[in-house]
Amino acid sequence: MNELWIDFVTYLNSDNVWQIIRASILVIVGVIAAKAISASLAKIMSKSASSHGIMLIRRGSYYLILMLFVISALRELGFNFGVLLGAAGVLSLAIGFASQTSASNLISGLFLVAERPFTVGDVIQVGTTVGEVLSIDLLSVKLRTFDNLFVRLPNESLIKAEVTTLTRFPIRRFDILVGVAYKEDLKKVHEVLDAVADKNPLCLEEPKPLYIFKGFGESSLDIQFSVWAKREKFLELKNSIQEEIKYAFDEHNIEIPFPHRTLYTGSKTEAFPVEIAK
Amino acid sequence: MSSKTISEPPWWGDFEFNHDQCKEWRIDSLSLLVRHLDGEWQIAYQRFDNSADTENTIEITDSTQLPETLKNNSRYIFRKTKGLLSVLPLTADRPVIARPHTPFNLTAGEEAVLYVSTPLWIQLAVGSSPIKVLESIAINQPSDTWFGPSTLEGELCYATKTHCKLNLADISHRPHRVLTPVFVRNQADTTLAIERLNIPAPLLAIFSADDGKLWTPGVTLTREKDGDMAKLKIDKKPPKEARNCRLVSKPRSDADSTIFIRAFNTVFN
Repeated sequence: MNELWIDFVTYLNSDNVWQIIRASILVIVGVIAAKAISASLAKIMSKSASSHGIMLIRRGSYYLILMLFVISALRELGFNFGVLLGAAGVLSLAIGFASQTSASNLISGLFLVAERPFTVGDVIQVGTTVGEVLSIDLLSVKLRTFDNLFVRLPNESLIKAEVTTLTRFPIRRFDILVGVAYKEDLKKVHEVLDAVADKNPLCLEEPKPLYIFKGFGESSLDIQFSVWAKREKFLELKNSIQEEIKYAFDEHNIEIPFPHRTLYTGSKTEAFPVEIAK
Repeated sequence: MSSKTISEPPWWGDFEFNHDQCKEWRIDSLSLLVRHLDGEWQIAYQRFDNSADTENTIEITDSTQLPETLKNNSRYIFRKTKGLLSVLPLTADRPVIARPHTPFNLTAGEEAVLYVSTPLWIQLAVGSSPIKVLESIAINQPSDTWFGPSTLEGELCYATKTHCKLNLADISHRPHRVLTPVFVRNQADTTLAIERLNIPAPLLAIFSADDGKLWTPGVTLTREKDGDMAKLKIDKKPPKEARNCRLVSKPRSDADSTIFIRAFNTVFN
């Protein structure tokens, strides 16, 4: 017990303790400096850069500064970086095999950052998931869906999958599919649809609404009427114009048919017996 | 609703309110109610379907109608308020694309002055220094439109149909719209077909003439010789057509310069 105590006191008196203290101070100062500098850089750039750019600057500067301080701390402890780098080759091979998925996500993340198919704040659709991009990290992209769920998408899957950015362009087109009864005058239907679009202030005057006669449906004449709207007003237009079309069709006695089935029993059979219940 | 006419146009200016007094502005299809209470302003508005009866209507009346009965209503709370409301006409907050009912052509070397009317906004503000803007409401909400060479490139504007009249005498007085004299010059060698014109409404001030008409300074659009570029110049002075006039409202945005060189297709289309 006494020997142990003597060893401990000798150790405390040696340079090692001071090296550890100095290294610890370096790491603590590094964390504080990295936080302060990255926050200040983000603040300085907040007016000129996008939120995506600010996030990159913040994280990049934080990790760079912290790395420099950690290297200094390790040197203080007497690590030889030549040996470390040599070992890194063998180590990276081992780590590479062990963390294939993470490495793939990491590299995909770098491609995503460089390619910039979307930025923080954009609304994207991946498969059936639609949401606002909260952050683009090294391993994954985080989304907030409109029903307020947090979705984590691995970068690797984003690189492989079809990603639709819904907020890239300032205007969007909404395709309305509507069917009218076979008896209707298509010229009149076209006029009524144009008048509805003209009256709705959210519907852009230019690009002009598009009218396409899609064909002869099973029980209706199928029409596609496409209107453009400002991106932010898209949902509002989607609701208002469909309602207005319904009211306009009602007003002009244009029938929107539901699927019709005519039952025919053949000329030689008797008619179906029909009974009216009160 | 009991009402009596308080004043004839102009519908803008400073209006005194007593405690719990409500006034209604009927301007064209817009019905706007403003009520003053202790430490509170209530504003409500609704646009009704425009019919021949309401077109060009300007009426300011005392009203007993409650603001809550209209579609869009809001309350503004202050520690202390005086009953003074400042009402101002404003130009549109985005450029206005004027589409002539019939497109017209300007042959090489020709020039013309067109009178284009654009929709107005009504701004309600209280206080003197600083002025606190309560609301800015479009009298007739114009339709949105896109102006640019493609759906990727361009800017969001408002659309308005215009007769692009050439003769001042042919223009009827519409107090809810502002007139802009547009001087179009075609210096290129080919005919200029004008289907749509881009009026930079947020950069224009509003002047009130003696006859009650509202004017903006003139805008000169010049198609340059090479045909690809257009020069847009905004006059600093009120138009000569307004004769004796006074400044009613400043432009919404201040431009550093009054001369802009733009791509041809961002001015004409």
